[in-house]
Amino acid sequence: MSETAMELINVKKTLGNKAIIKGVSFEIHKGEVFGFIGPNGAGKTTTIRMMVGLMGLSGGDVRIQGASIKTDYKEAIREVGAIVENPEMYPFLTGKQNLKHYARMMPNVPHSRIEEVIKLVGLEQAINEKAGKYSLGMRQRLGIAQALLQKPSVLILDEPTNGLDPAGIKEIRQYIRKLAQEENVAVIISSHLLSEIEQMCDRIGLIKNGEVIAIQDVNAAADETETAEVQMEVTPLSTACEVLRNDYNLDADASNATLTIRTEREMIPDIVETFVRHEIKIYQISMTTSTLEDKFFDLIGENTIE
Amino acid sequence: MSNFFQLLINEQIKLYIRKSTWIMYILIAVLVLGLAFLSDYTVEQAAKYQDDNWQETLEQENADLQQQMEEDDMMQGFNNTQIEKNNFYLENDVQPRSYDAWQFVMGNEFLLSLVSLFTIIVAAGIIANEFKWGTIKLLLIRPITRTKILAAKYVSVLLFALFTLLFVLIFSWLSGALFFGVNGMDPYIVLNESDGFAHVSIIGEIIEGYGLQLVTLVMMATFAFMISAIFRQSSLAIGVAIFLMLSGNAIVSFFSEYSWAKYILFANTNMNQYINGSPMFEGMSLGFSLTVLAVYYVVFLSLAWLFFTKRDVAGH
Repeated sequence: MSETAMELINVKKTLGNKAIIKGVSFEIHKGEVFGFIGPNGAGKTTTIRMMVGLMGLSGGDVRIQGASIKTDYKEAIREVGAIVENPEMYPFLTGKQNLKHYARMMPNVPHSRIEEVIKLVGLEQAINEKAGKYSLGMRQRLGIAQALLQKPSVLILDEPTNGLDPAGIKEIRQYIRKLAQEENVAVIISSHLLSEIEQMCDRIGLIKNGEVIAIQDVNAAADETETAEVQMEVTPLSTACEVLRNDYNLDADASNATLTIRTEREMIPDIVETFVRHEIKIYQISMTTSTLEDKFFDLIGENTIE
Repeated sequence: MSNFFQLLINEQIKLYIRKSTWIMYILIAVLVLGLAFLSDYTVEQAAKYQDDNWQETLEQENADLQQQMEEDDMMQGFNNTQIEKNNFYLENDVQPRSYDAWQFVMGNEFLLSLVSLFTIIVAAGIIANEFKWGTIKLLLIRPITRTKILAAKYVSVLLFALFTLLFVLIFSWLSGALFFGVNGMDPYIVLNESDGFAHVSIIGEIIEGYGLQLVTLVMMATFAFMISAIFRQSSLAIGVAIFLMLSGNAIVSFFSEYSWAKYILFANTNMNQYINGSPMFEGMSLGFSLTVLAVYYVVFLSLAWLFFTKRDVAGH
């Protein structure tokens, strides 16, 4: 992979005696979209708040383009554009006044850049209306616009798809991919809904109880379907089970007239042939591909990624 | 320093674009105009001395007052002062002034407590509102230290106080000029000073009167600013600051038995006690009060700074 844009080194947060974040480490490369997934309360937002210096670190360090958020705050934060939780704007200022407000706080943001980001997020029509009248989707876009003002090398978006309709999500998805590819920005997206961001991420980190329990390459996960779950509706079940155990050393799970086994895709025709030879009747065979979501369900050990 | 100026612009825009700020100015304007309407009596009083026979008018008035006192003992105090004042005019051959814009401005000195009130409201909200709106998160993730952001907010509060004070002065003067006219640009007036009646410059009186109230204004605004930074809640900051401002004197007299009462903030905010030469407690001097005020001021700002820069910005 290419250059590292942001690096978390054993980041810890303790509140009182309680360890909220227990040593989180990962790095994000330029041009990559990194998904940060976890159930509510797992520590996503706390980690993000530490990444942008809103909360102090109890241990470890965050480095952005090599600059430590602890010791070189200004250098580090200059490279970061972010939305933390909801994209809250000054409701009494217009969209443009909001952007100008933030532009004044950063070096080298010419007026032309403001116009540029407005166009980028497609807010030209409503930019002179008061932000208080914006829908959540419009505020989300304005939030992204303000995060992009200073051309950051790291873009942090906390729950960017929250409150957006499917069309809006699709738009943001395309837009974020474009940013990563064309502008070589490292994008970090947090969400509790894996399915919404899975398609725009290159890698996904899973956080639970303040720990990163898995980091997974999205494309690799798609290839890893060699071991699939196969359901077979056969009779008689007992013979079928026996055949599988003896010939293939496979443990079958039998319920309702259906066998469930885990095996490689290539094995299926062979098994069918064997079944036919033993005069087992086959009514139906189906295969469930293991998605990233299933994988994470297993890791989290819950039924839902909330 | 240039980005500090940009921060100031931001804070001023956020302040003056909101309707609540405009309402404050409208209230002041309405009050000043109302006061001008109600000043008819004072204008009439002053008008009767404006002809060439003003000395006779004053003597006649003294005689009337004397007679009134003989009939009614209750009027003694007030009438004696009035007679003394009239005699000062006669002895020094000074014609009483007609009521004009300058005197109107001087009389509106009490409006500064309204300016203090508004400044407290602004100071209480300037940090707390960012938390209420949730914008604090976007405000703080900029390549600017929190100390600088805090300083810009504090200076903005002081600027608001300054602008509002100037508004009171200028609007009062203009309304006064409109209603009563302007009687010279360096007017003098006879006032009852600590050592008897004296002929003093009105402009000097205005500067002194408004200036002395600025002490309380700045201290209470800084206090509200501190509460706002610590608790991140404007209603609490407004409530506590206004309560203390209104009950300051009561607090001092409540604890006046104790030797440490002179260290209470409110025992030191009234600088008039040194002009009149009657300090509230023994052992107090101008230097003492200024030191006490400075200590409070530094403590307020240090606490505000400590909480604003060191504390985490966590979720709601």
